[in-house]
Amino acid sequence: MSQEIAHWLDNLLEEIEGIEIRRKSSRRVRVDVPADALPALLELLQGRAGYIHLSAISCVDWIDDEEFELVYHVWSYENHSLVSAHIRIAREPGVYLSVYDLYQPAAFFERDIHEMYGIHFEGSPNMDKFILTEWDGPPPMLKEFDSEAYINEHLSWQEYNPPWLQALIAEGGGVVIPPEEQRFSRKKS
Amino acid sequence: MRPENYEAQRQPPSNEYELNFGPNHPGIEGNYALKVKLHGDVVIEAKADGGYLHRGFEKLMEQRLWIQNIALVPRICVPDPSPMELCYSMAVEQLCGLVVPKRAQWIRVLQLELSRIAAHLFTFGGHAATTGMYSTMYWGVTDRDLLLDLFEEFTGGRVYSIYNIPGGVRRELPPGFLLRVTETLDYIESRLPDYDNLFFKNQVFVKRAKGVGVMTREQALAWGVTGPNLRATGLAFDVRRDDPYQIYDQLEFDIPTEESGDAWARTLVRRHELMESIRILRQVVDALPDINGSIRSPIPNPLAWNVPAGETYTRVESSKGELCYYVVSDGGPKPYRVHVRGPSSMHAVQVLEKLSVGSRIEDIAQTMFSLDACPPEVDR
Repeated sequence: MSQEIAHWLDNLLEEIEGIEIRRKSSRRVRVDVPADALPALLELLQGRAGYIHLSAISCVDWIDDEEFELVYHVWSYENHSLVSAHIRIAREPGVYLSVYDLYQPAAFFERDIHEMYGIHFEGSPNMDKFILTEWDGPPPMLKEFDSEAYINEHLSWQEYNPPWLQALIAEGGGVVIPPEEQRFSRKKS
Repeated sequence: MRPENYEAQRQPPSNEYELNFGPNHPGIEGNYALKVKLHGDVVIEAKADGGYLHRGFEKLMEQRLWIQNIALVPRICVPDPSPMELCYSMAVEQLCGLVVPKRAQWIRVLQLELSRIAAHLFTFGGHAATTGMYSTMYWGVTDRDLLLDLFEEFTGGRVYSIYNIPGGVRRELPPGFLLRVTETLDYIESRLPDYDNLFFKNQVFVKRAKGVGVMTREQALAWGVTGPNLRATGLAFDVRRDDPYQIYDQLEFDIPTEESGDAWARTLVRRHELMESIRILRQVVDALPDINGSIRSPIPNPLAWNVPAGETYTRVESSKGELCYYVVSDGGPKPYRVHVRGPSSMHAVQVLEKLSVGSRIEDIAQTMFSLDACPPEVDR
């Protein structure tokens, strides 16, 4: 991104109230805005600065701050630069606006974030489950969700020792090595 | 989509019916499904259904050390794993301010382009099989194996090389390796006319693929399409050139485009890209002997490595399109958050749903394979 375009972009973005702009490298700009200013910012970026490609929406769960951070990464095919717009929303009730009317790819990312973090996006075309169709536990990407504890609580370890395996082990083969022989057992013999 | 979760519903008499296309179907890449509503054999509605390959990588990565995740990331996309390693490594390097030695950057490009050729050959094979041309599939998979031999030799792994680490690459190239790369490239280049005659110019393929799954450039841009699928609509955009990483800005290569935006154009763009990758690799093979120095910059003890707090968004061009990682560190020994944005999360879901509507049932496979959708990348 040339100096001229960078300067022009800075002037354009300063129209948004409460904005903080940080230039991380020649092609990466970080922008922090209040949550309610994001739609206006994206509209400006898309309509007047050519940032027509929504690369991704990332969600970060800041459990200690009781906030979710949403990051909208938009790319301009003209300026060859990527603007990452950061907002924070309250963890409870975890509701935000959809940007689907501006960027169609948002539908997938919002659906994914809804599934993994439980954030509801108002106006998003489809909030149905996609990946975790048969999952009825809490949204698994939340920081308080401990996947190992969940497994220990809900599933039980099972012995797997079918007759064919017993026969194999009796012959000296098989895939199961007794625990006492597990380390270096092959070297000993 | 398990049978026990769905009850048969009595519907009023109609000419429409629903069909589960996948998750186990030769016309679907990987385990993935489309729920299609048909009128005769014309699709009137398609809904993508993923999750069959969900392994929870993003959650797992929050529970593992920075260095351990290197072994996890390539598994996110099976056919083209190397860009995953690089994208993650680049993110950690940016967070730590690590400078990658020149020689390591060149070796990384060598690995990436070999991986791109392997991925494209694999896709051609699968795509040809959907039109019944199994010979091309056998050829594609066999020739890909030669590249896997190279991977085995210089990384130790055939499919998942786990070769890139933050700061550089794991090992030096074996003696005489570049010679064998050249031999393999010569062989693959000599095979391309055969591929052209058997597949790309074959009327069976041309007639099946032309005019199928057409999208305009405006649609492609609005739907978030990237990579070869975008270039098939005439826009010459490539992350390697327009948002360069590693040493791509020092290499000469063209960005092939096509105008028609259909399944045929998308496949042809990949065919031309294969040639460009060979061209890049030849430059790397010529340049590498003169680039001396270390292959990685020193990193702290990886088992007690606290990456400085921060966030970064890294972006590379995989064989399927734009691949990005958003990585957040809170200054601890494990990532606080890793978000993987695979190109197929657009291509396999919204784009496939939209392009399938109006096509015939037998063209769904054409559309899916020509988009080079990779379901494990969607499910993560």
